[in-house]
Amino acid sequence: MKNIKEPFSKNILKINDLEQTSNNIITKLKADVIKKLQRHGAVVGISGGIDSSVTLALAAKAFGPNKVLGVLLPEKDSSDDSRSLALELADKFGIDTVTENITSALDGFGCYQRRDEAIGRIVKDFNPKEDKAKIEIKQDIKQNIPAIFSITVIKPNEEVVSKLLPAKEYLQIVAATNFKQRSRMTMLYYHAERLHHAVIGTPNKHEVEQGFFVKYGDGGADIMPIGHLYKTQVYQLAEYLGVPQGIIDRTPTTDTYTAEQTQEDFFYQMPFETMDLIWYGWENNYPAEEVGQIMGLNTNEVESIYKNFVRKRKTTEYLRMKPIF
Amino acid sequence: MKNSFPLKQELKEYIVETSLTDKSKIKDDTLIFDAGLLDSMGLLFLIEFLNEKYGIEVEDDELNPKNFESINSIVAFVQSKKEIA
Repeated sequence: MKNIKEPFSKNILKINDLEQTSNNIITKLKADVIKKLQRHGAVVGISGGIDSSVTLALAAKAFGPNKVLGVLLPEKDSSDDSRSLALELADKFGIDTVTENITSALDGFGCYQRRDEAIGRIVKDFNPKEDKAKIEIKQDIKQNIPAIFSITVIKPNEEVVSKLLPAKEYLQIVAATNFKQRSRMTMLYYHAERLHHAVIGTPNKHEVEQGFFVKYGDGGADIMPIGHLYKTQVYQLAEYLGVPQGIIDRTPTTDTYTAEQTQEDFFYQMPFETMDLIWYGWENNYPAEEVGQIMGLNTNEVESIYKNFVRKRKTTEYLRMKPIF
Repeated sequence: MKNSFPLKQELKEYIVETSLTDKSKIKDDTLIFDAGLLDSMGLLFLIEFLNEKYGIEVEDDELNPKNFESINSIVAFVQSKKEIA
């Protein structure tokens, strides 16, 4: 059989017909929600980030603005930009919004107190009222070793303290922080159920496949219309759909920890443009040497990144599993 | 040269126990991450094990394949840390 695989290039993921791609997603979204899920509209949590913005725009076109509700779900660690950008987005697409501040709910769960207690066990003089904190992966993805998280605390005088997180504290910080995504999911379902709408999830392909989501949190949704799109493709669609430029230009963050934290620092360990292409190369069995030549990396580096992808996919399989019975 | 036998055995037993892998499949130079024996949580628990069992504290910049890719690497790393201590 003739090998018809396209040679690897930096344009290999580029969507050439944005109108067709967009229409296909919109048609499928509408059909799935109405016919399969038997719901009449959409509820989308909007954060001012690129993924939720594109999802909202697609939902608006699928169902019409009157059958879509945008829900803002801030809490005390959310950045100020998130609200203004989310409102600008909703205004652009004529969507009604509701703001649900979940800080009290998170206080009730002990989210902040449990997280800060674990940080305090590692950084002894941590003061949650003044200091900012985040967790991040500091290892180079080109090294063939699994990712381990560090805690970074930034003092008011800009002093930075960073320590490797032991298992117990790492797990407690993540478990406590996950109250945020799970509380948001609960509120989204409240609105979806009262309106007889579906919850439209916002994860992109990387989040789904590398497990960068919280099980029953942002992973808890009825349908994920951009779950098959690479991040650079999400940006292409954002431009095409007319998502506000402030959202497109914003660096993707987790908007979860008190210190500023990009998604690259937190999880992906490389820029989206690079990750998209190498992931595509890995997923489609392109030799590391061919990918390396295009990406300016040596074969060993690409092989290490491929191994990292294999590990991330395997490690996060649990997140994508349905209950076993 | 130091006797690394008990340390090596203990490490092997730890990895066998935590990865539910047949002992015969783990050699001293098996690349434990490539073989899928330990993922990121597995490595994190191994670091905890090294701390509790041998009093070893691992720093950010020590997390590299040279120190952790095989049982031989980990043994050498633990021994070098103990020498410094």
